[in-house]
Amino acid sequence: MGAARDSHPPTAGFPTELEVYSMNRLILKLVIIAAAGSLPFSNSIVAQILPPQKRAEHVEITKEPELEIAYDDTAIVRWTSTNPGGDDEHFAVAHFGTDPNDLNQIAKSHIRLNRGHAETIFRVRMQGLKSQTTYYYKVSSMGADGEVDGVESPINHFTTPAPGERITASLQPK
Amino acid sequence: MRRHTSILATTSLVAVLGIVSVPLAGFTEARAQQVDQPLPAYNPYPTGILPPDLVPELLRVRREVQTVFGRYLAEWKALTPPTLTGQPPTLFPSGYDAQRILGGLLNYDENMSPFRNEACASCHMPYAGFSGPIPSVNLTMVAYPGTFRFRAGKRVAQRYPYTFRFPVLHLNSRRAGGVGKFTGGAFWDGRSTGYKLQSADAEQAQHPPVDTQEMGFPDTACIALRISQAGYRPLFETVWGVDFDINFPGNAEQICSTPGGAFGTGATPISLSPVDRTKANNIYDHWGQSISFLEGSNDVSPFTSKFDAFLVGNYTLTADEAAGRALFDGKGNCNSCHLDGVSTKLTSGQTDTGTDNETEPLFTCFAYTNLGLPLNPRVAIFYQSTPDGVGFTPNPDGFRFRDLGFGTFLRSGPGSAPNPNAINWLSFAPTSDGQMQTSTVRNVAMAPPQCPTTEAPGPYFQKEFFHNGYIKSLKQLVHFYNTRDVFPFNVTSGHCPAGTTEKVDCWPMPEVPNNLDHTIGKLGLTDQEENQIVAFMQTLTDGFNPANPTVSTYKNIDTFTGQCMTGGNASTQGNQTIIPTFSLTQFPCATDVCSVAPVPAPSAVP
Repeated sequence: MGAARDSHPPTAGFPTELEVYSMNRLILKLVIIAAAGSLPFSNSIVAQILPPQKRAEHVEITKEPELEIAYDDTAIVRWTSTNPGGDDEHFAVAHFGTDPNDLNQIAKSHIRLNRGHAETIFRVRMQGLKSQTTYYYKVSSMGADGEVDGVESPINHFTTPAPGERITASLQPK
Repeated sequence: MRRHTSILATTSLVAVLGIVSVPLAGFTEARAQQVDQPLPAYNPYPTGILPPDLVPELLRVRREVQTVFGRYLAEWKALTPPTLTGQPPTLFPSGYDAQRILGGLLNYDENMSPFRNEACASCHMPYAGFSGPIPSVNLTMVAYPGTFRFRAGKRVAQRYPYTFRFPVLHLNSRRAGGVGKFTGGAFWDGRSTGYKLQSADAEQAQHPPVDTQEMGFPDTACIALRISQAGYRPLFETVWGVDFDINFPGNAEQICSTPGGAFGTGATPISLSPVDRTKANNIYDHWGQSISFLEGSNDVSPFTSKFDAFLVGNYTLTADEAAGRALFDGKGNCNSCHLDGVSTKLTSGQTDTGTDNETEPLFTCFAYTNLGLPLNPRVAIFYQSTPDGVGFTPNPDGFRFRDLGFGTFLRSGPGSAPNPNAINWLSFAPTSDGQMQTSTVRNVAMAPPQCPTTEAPGPYFQKEFFHNGYIKSLKQLVHFYNTRDVFPFNVTSGHCPAGTTEKVDCWPMPEVPNNLDHTIGKLGLTDQEENQIVAFMQTLTDGFNPANPTVSTYKNIDTFTGQCMTGGNASTQGNQTIIPTFSLTQFPCATDVCSVAPVPAPSAVP
């Protein structure tokens, strides 16, 4: 392909003895700089991905589950527990149904643990609900690896609103 | 084959005639503009989708791109020539600069598109934090026009500072027994995995040149052809030790001057011998690697924000910034995924002793999440369901397209790319639908010096946020996190009930109802606390110089020559451009998006 090229100083060729000496000094300098961690290619990616936290030995619910909002066919329940640790990727889980003795539906909502927080707010969204119906539920949580946190609430209940209406609790997170 | 010949002949003929003048729908006759290409513009858009100033704005950005290209050319001329030395052979002592400058030249070279009118940088300019440089596009069509005006993509031009440090996409094996959480990769949908070059960022740079909606080459070998014609070719040869001794066929130039899509589904319309194809592929890999080096360099990712200065004691956060930081790590819970790398949640009386010196926090966890953004009916891709001038239809699904993000990538679906680990990962698609990559917060607030904020009333630079540009200010962004589940309505955008204001006290339903993230949705932040988090986010803009705080040191931030915007308020910024979403019942999700096994679950995507 016959495109014109810009003129440019030659970059090939062998250096002189003096240049080699200078280069060796420069190389030494660069090595020192690298050792000091100033070059941009430290293995920073590895540093950014932290290994999973240690799982908490004991997890407990510190604020019982409450209805946050209910509208249309949806309800969201929230609760607070001590930070369960383990996998940062976690799920809030609700087993629910219209019969307290048969919680035959399950809802899972993703949350991501904040390692710096002593407590974790879990929120789970239940969908496909009928209006003006009482639902019973209990909540728990688990890591994305499938390991459960070993804490479960007692059975609670809420009643969904009429079509077009909504129930909103004025909950204030910590 | 006859059709291809015909297209080439047409292209060549029109090229001889030069730039064509095409009145655009939605433009008054007086505002008809010339498009900078040898084919008539592709304009399937109804009135009001393309911004009225689109053509002059594209030309404005072209001038800015050429300015920066010229600066890198000057840097090359001033470069101390590197010499290949030692074992393994190393470019000494200026290999870093040579590689960086080469990346700059490639990134800002408009010749890297069939019509020589679009570089990588055309959609990613420094003053926008390397996101989209045209305020009116950010306000309307979301995606940027490609080399073939006005084909355009489906998402916001993603910022790429610090993407250099994103790991290769992987699934932590210990999670494989659960629902699966993916980490790394590049692009909103993760389709640049990094599996081949071991760099998600380098592979990211390989997609736009052959994306029909972007730079639009029909064949990756066109990059080798165009670099072989470039004035900076010797620098490429010096850095990579390659030669361009490729026997291109006589029609290669014509092929590379024709936008992708004109040659059917074939990926290699240029006929090359296996040896020459290998050489061209090798050059294409190096193209990606050089651009990635640039993106990782101090030209793009310098860690020079106020926050970085604060961490080493060279800046004192204002009261609002400090409060915002506490909220970012605490009540706002932003730090659960936008990791700041340093902080601990403090209880009363504790002291934060964290330091950043070893972590260089990136404010992302490299993960994917579905935040529940509503479908944005302004996204340009929805309208491109008719053939363009070369017989290519960008989006045969039209309004039936849905953006399932990472889930579509895992299915190797439309608008994404083949999944190189489909054999192991396909089953995770239903638990990944709707998920998009978690962006770094760094430089989200970057704007040109003359309009140094993204927030109304300004003077401000209009940006767009999240993958589909639904959000138009950082205030709205934080308010969305804060109140998504406080003001939910089962409506689509443009249909909020009377008495409510969209994005203020009405959030339309998510485009993808599955896998919604519930870390956020009701944070309980006050209006003032939202503003404080915005103030903290603004401390993450690179280019802060403690010795001269009013002048940004960010490279090439001075190149914006457009207009600032003023007026209004950040909460409703851009609301005047909201249009009613088409009927999802009339246009249900297309089969090639939503009916590919394993299908979205537990809910169907409307």
